[in-house]
Amino acid sequence: MRSFGRPVRAARGAEAPDADAPAVQLQGLTKRFGPVLACADVSMTVLRGRIHGLLGQNGAGKTTLMRMLAGLVRPDAGRILVAGRPVTVTDPATATALGIAMVHQHFSLVGRLRVWENVALGGRGRLDSRWTRREIGRVADGYGLLVDPDRRVDELTTSERQRVELVKCLIRAPQVLILDEPTSTLTPPEARHLLSVLRRVVSDESRAVVLISHDLDELAHAADEVTVMRDGAVLARRSAAEVDVGELGRLMVGDQLPAAVAAPAGEPREQVRLRIRDAWATQARRPVLRGLDLRVRAGEIVGVAGVEGSGQGALADLLSSLLPLDRGNVEVDGNPVPPGRPGAMQRAGVGVVPEDRHVSGCVLDMSVAENLAMTDLGPVSRWGFVSRGRLRQRAEATIREFAIGGASPDTPLRLLSGGNQQRVVLARELGAAASVLVVAQPTRGLDAAAVEHVFARIGGLAAQGVAVLLISSDLADIRRLAHRIVVLHRGAVVGELTQATADPQRLGLLLGGRPE
Amino acid sequence: MTGLELVLASALRLSVPLLFAALGEWIAERAGALNVSLEGMMLAAAFGGYVGAVATGSSALGLLCAAATGLSVALAQSGMSYRLTVDANVVGLTLNVLVLGLTSYLPAPTEPVDVPHLTVPGLSALPVVGGALFDQPWPAYLLLGLAPALWWVGYRTRWGLELRACGDGPRAADASGVDVPRRRRQAVLVCGAFAGLGGGYLAVAEVGLFNPNMTAGRGYLVLAAVIFGGWTLRGTLAGCLLFGAADAMRLALPALGYQFNPQLLLATPYLLALLTMTVLARRGHGPAALGVPFRRGLT
Ligand SMILES: Nc1ncnc2c1ncn2[C@@H]1O[C@H](COP(=O)(O)OP(=O)(O)O)[C@@H](O)[C@H]1O
Ligand SMILES: [Mg+2]
Repeated sequence: MRSFGRPVRAARGAEAPDADAPAVQLQGLTKRFGPVLACADVSMTVLRGRIHGLLGQNGAGKTTLMRMLAGLVRPDAGRILVAGRPVTVTDPATATALGIAMVHQHFSLVGRLRVWENVALGGRGRLDSRWTRREIGRVADGYGLLVDPDRRVDELTTSERQRVELVKCLIRAPQVLILDEPTSTLTPPEARHLLSVLRRVVSDESRAVVLISHDLDELAHAADEVTVMRDGAVLARRSAAEVDVGELGRLMVGDQLPAAVAAPAGEPREQVRLRIRDAWATQARRPVLRGLDLRVRAGEIVGVAGVEGSGQGALADLLSSLLPLDRGNVEVDGNPVPPGRPGAMQRAGVGVVPEDRHVSGCVLDMSVAENLAMTDLGPVSRWGFVSRGRLRQRAEATIREFAIGGASPDTPLRLLSGGNQQRVVLARELGAAASVLVVAQPTRGLDAAAVEHVFARIGGLAAQGVAVLLISSDLADIRRLAHRIVVLHRGAVVGELTQATADPQRLGLLLGGRPE
Repeated sequence: MTGLELVLASALRLSVPLLFAALGEWIAERAGALNVSLEGMMLAAAFGGYVGAVATGSSALGLLCAAATGLSVALAQSGMSYRLTVDANVVGLTLNVLVLGLTSYLPAPTEPVDVPHLTVPGLSALPVVGGALFDQPWPAYLLLGLAPALWWVGYRTRWGLELRACGDGPRAADASGVDVPRRRRQAVLVCGAFAGLGGGYLAVAEVGLFNPNMTAGRGYLVLAAVIFGGWTLRGTLAGCLLFGAADAMRLALPALGYQFNPQLLLATPYLLALLTMTVLARRGHGPAALGVPFRRGLT
């Protein structure tokens, strides 16, 4: 027999599924990833016929919570009830059988396969392409989702892919449909269309939808209920009637921002060192920058805040010469720099401390000294040969200055602790920044002492006239160091705050995409 | 026989073991499992198949033994790397060395076995191609059924679809409810059986004896053939024919009176494999997750 999933198992024992029970009840779900408590004792009830919004900043645990429901993550503790029955969701196939379908944040389609093959994947019985295509047509027409079953997924745009994902879920007639930040990569009209489809899903068939988002307006308009998560815990539930966007923003960000500990170093000067004008870019067929404008003056530290998909990563890539622009330009010290040309930004005087220092920042099997000199061999070479003496000398000075514990210049980087490996990359890039310094997630993986040191160095560089761009998902970092906070949303700047005007509500609203 | 006939006949004869093994390796790689142990599977199967054929006196049973031997090497490979998570290449190389040692050490009989040829009346008398195409040991004709069958399984069945998804997007396959490690294990087992047929054919049908290290790198040639074929079944088989032909030239040229350095000639198929790989591998059409271990939950 052909079908798109294992049939829903008959009720265990005498307990029949209860038509009046909530579609899903999560009770005390807890999940720990090593030291990170992603979800801490989370309870949540999803009712039929409702769109349930799940709001929270990056790392709040929204995805993890829903992945537990979809069988991709096993909870450490807690219970899941589907239609009133306790269930164990061991794997995605079980979730499908229970009527749970999820559209993932980073799509889960196989690019090399055709649309109909992707839809058929995970089904049961004979593989029948004609029948699958017909069913796709039926579901797609019913919901007004345009898809061509014979295209290869590789060739589709983001919104087309998303429609395929939706059809793939809907064709299995789920009781609960979960969407993980579905609108963050869509244009506003596409997002509106998606939300109208979701409305139809819940009204026509009394199913439940869980909509993860950090777009406040979107949730305020589309959701019947909103649950707010922060740091792995549920903070509040609101029904549509009582939703107050300002309050949601404040809840999402947290009641109090950490105080600006030290006044930012020095006063910014007049000279504009970095200027990005009307930058538009796509990455893997997704628009990542949509008209970004940014100016950083000499001596100024600008914090860039934003939720995932807002363009923070793309901005860092742009300044690392990893991202070409479709439109717009970048100037460093008044000189245009071709975006996307390898090494161009670096030559223009832009130093970048990447977010994933482990992956792209260093070679673990090379020595500390080699890693320190890797990106710029000029100061340690003579007549085109690397001078071992100078290499060591410079490395020793840096090791002392940055207090890189347990290291000699010849120690392979692999033997250092994680925090010390980071210091090596930081030391190198901080040293290389002539005009502009870009630091992504400066405190990630560092201990308190190292953070102090790095902050002091960044402040010192700014005082010398370097323009600093601090890209961080940790608002505390930005709050402590930046003269000015720029908030990104959907690839453009939605608003700007100074130390004086930054309060949780305004920041929350901006992060959620709502300019004042 | 003319020179051309001679070369064609031996090209096809030498390709047959490669073709069997390539069918298996193709399906395994499409599932994302790169089997370096292909060489070991073939060599072990050559031994097992020959011993089986001598013991039972039947070439069919001998080939069955060969398939079973290949399967058992595959069982070790798949268990180690897709049940436990030992690096598949390390397991593969270890198995190759282990099999080489064991088959050289274990006593093998020395009695030659003979496999009847299947001669298509009339056609086998055709000029030039007759001998090559229509007068081969009977197991060679199994390929005519197995190759289309495998294509059909790979592209027309749910199992095949799931396998290909495991090779190109294991994470997506997993989220869709496909058991990725299990599908990969199954693909490796199928590969083992096919590689077994290839190794068995070599010993039982082609040579009629077992010699230590008689596969002499044919497993690696098959790996190259899959790359040559851009991971399509048709291309993979064409690659095997090409490498078989190169091997045939090596044998035929001296027989036809051309003098070449024999060591260099011995290396030609491998040189050709290396060359095609450097030229073609850059096209990068391989399954996206080929050789990448999969574990759920790692993002
Ligand atoms: N597979 C994983 N391994 C380790 N840590 C993880 C994993 N998945 C999520 N986390 C961590 O759990 C926390 C919550 O992540 P996530 O659920 O993705 O948040 P959200 O979706 O709200 O942005 C984060 O700190 C994240 O780094
Ligand atoms: Mg998430």
